[in-house]
Amino acid sequence: MRSGSSVANAKSMERKGRGGWLLPFLLLLPAIGLMLALYAYPFASSIYRSFLSSEGTLTLANYAKVRELYLRDVLFSLEVSLLSTAIAAVLSIALAAYLRLASGSIVRLVGAIYRFPIFIPFVVVAQMMGTFLAPHGLLNIFLAQIGLVNLEAPLQLLNWKGLTFGFVWKQAPFMTLIVLSGFGMVDDTYIEAARSVGARLPQVIVRILVPMSRATIAVALILAFTSTVGTFTLPYMLIGGKIPTTLTVDIAHRVTYFGDYGVANALGTLAYLMVIFTAVYYLRYTVRRGIYEYQER
Amino acid sequence: MSRKRTALVIVSLLAVLVACAPPTPQVIEKEVVVEKPVIETVVVEKQVVVEKPAPVSMVYITAGDVNMLALGQNVLAPEFHAMYPNVTVSVVHTGPGDAGSRLIFEKLKADKDAGRAQGDVDVAMVHQKFMAWAMAENLLLKYADELETWKYMTAADARNALGTNIEGYAMPMFHSQIAIAYNPDLVPDPPRSYEELVEWVKANPGKFGHNGIKGGMSGVGFSIGWIYWKSGNYEKYAVSGPFDEAEVATWEAGLKEMKDFNQYVTITAGNVGTLDALNRGELWMGPVWVDMFYTFMLEGKMDPKMRLTMLEPGMPGQPMYFVIPKNARNPEWAKKWVEYVTSPEVQGKIIIERYNWYPGIDGKFVEGIAPPEAFDRLYKDISPEVLSTYGKSFPLIEYNDAMLEAYEKWVIGG
Repeated sequence: MRSGSSVANAKSMERKGRGGWLLPFLLLLPAIGLMLALYAYPFASSIYRSFLSSEGTLTLANYAKVRELYLRDVLFSLEVSLLSTAIAAVLSIALAAYLRLASGSIVRLVGAIYRFPIFIPFVVVAQMMGTFLAPHGLLNIFLAQIGLVNLEAPLQLLNWKGLTFGFVWKQAPFMTLIVLSGFGMVDDTYIEAARSVGARLPQVIVRILVPMSRATIAVALILAFTSTVGTFTLPYMLIGGKIPTTLTVDIAHRVTYFGDYGVANALGTLAYLMVIFTAVYYLRYTVRRGIYEYQER
Repeated sequence: MSRKRTALVIVSLLAVLVACAPPTPQVIEKEVVVEKPVIETVVVEKQVVVEKPAPVSMVYITAGDVNMLALGQNVLAPEFHAMYPNVTVSVVHTGPGDAGSRLIFEKLKADKDAGRAQGDVDVAMVHQKFMAWAMAENLLLKYADELETWKYMTAADARNALGTNIEGYAMPMFHSQIAIAYNPDLVPDPPRSYEELVEWVKANPGKFGHNGIKGGMSGVGFSIGWIYWKSGNYEKYAVSGPFDEAEVATWEAGLKEMKDFNQYVTITAGNVGTLDALNRGELWMGPVWVDMFYTFMLEGKMDPKMRLTMLEPGMPGQPMYFVIPKNARNPEWAKKWVEYVTSPEVQGKIIIERYNWYPGIDGKFVEGIAPPEAFDRLYKDISPEVLSTYGKSFPLIEYNDAMLEAYEKWVIGG
């Protein structure tokens, strides 16, 4: 949207014959320069280096090693990220709908509190979950006190379950923030119209709010999925060397113990592919339609 | 009007760009006497006597866990400053494990590749693996034999690190050792060897825990000890070498047995994961670093009744070394720093008593100086004789890497 408006500015300036193309270029240069230097160049360099052997020749050996040792971990990363994002999406849509449609002091209170996890860094979340979810951690001891769990055979949560719990806990508020802004753009008249023809709450959410905010929900999903795939601290401190583990832990393992940037970059490239495919899928089927619908109004 | 605004915007943009531009590195011409190590030490002595109080700023960079940073920043630097008021030591911390040492290596190599006459780092504290990387790139100064405390270094790893000859380039500050921590209430008679441990975990599934090879060196050490046991070839892997590719295939059977063994154990997240699980009672036994174990106990994070034991045929331990880069700005002060930390007083009062490490210098030079409770605490569960019999080295670098990959292939994979 922003680039759209500065292109419009440039065009209007051209029309008025002042400044020309130079000013927008200069205005954009710092931002784009930073993006190129800090994102595009390392990104391209990382992909290129994944094809380099330790002697510097082009090779597929790094990918062969990934297939030999780390394929299960790559799939595990993908599964955990998809599962966490899906659960977080459902929770965030529910919470955003509640905040959008209900009113009162409790709603305001919830609206203020739900944001806290956003400000807590992943490493702190990792430490919290490590002690909260442990076999003799806070959760299990609490459940044992009220008799739901036997401490000799506690809930084993230091695995994909605890990982998903941690991811959902961290990502759902962030997604709620974005989805709520999307819901806020849906005019009250649509909701009232739907209610007046007899729509109940679930139908209002599923048939009115969600379809009209498809673009925003897509953005929230992509952001949550991308950051989940790339998270290191939570899996490292929660499951560490368990089998399977996430590909980020494997990247750290290759770099730390072997200095092997070839295989680390190969794993990273697979992560980029995971993110690109899901991003393209969502963008093609939701955002484009969303924008065109918006523009038709 | 709009043209003036345009010009104002461009000028302010340029001002911001210039302000944000990286500062040009300052080349400081210091008249500090940077003696080349080739020159006799007589000149060094003179410098001490003449003692010009010109302010000196030293940078000490350390790998290792947060206890390394605490040691440098809160204990060693202020005491050194009290001894030499014109010297301030800044402590930089790079992080635990070989990753931290890797960062230090990359920094020194970057300084060398950039062709800088004087680097930023005066003295560094690194793991054994670093020595192979740094010696290959010729980054280090040979200094150790000039120090007063060199005569106290009797350990073999003061001269050889994982197969690399390092004599004169490094001084160990301490030795840390991996041992098995256990809860004496729940494990009245702990297994004495790996063999007995295998039987024990079958009888008590889930009560022994280690972190595998990702996430912490205590698990790595335990796994390497397993390979030493199954192969029986410790001498070749850790002392004499050479690296023989054919040895790797011989580990397959032993590692497949470890995969079976792992079914009866809990895999933890790392060094701290194992310690915390032991403390909470989820685990009854697990491999830990001796110094982390006792430090946790002193800080109230570990049940004081927990004890330590070693497994036959042995478990690895490692020193951390002081090294001085070739292009250090203040090599003479760096040498004084190393001499200070390796002196029997500091080794006894700080290394043993406060940080629960085994000393870098020979234990007998420290015995009279460290308070008896500290000495006893450290050697109570693992006496010096047990330590010298069962305390092993980590293997030569090529074997180390091969063992980690073999673990991934046969214990994790397959």
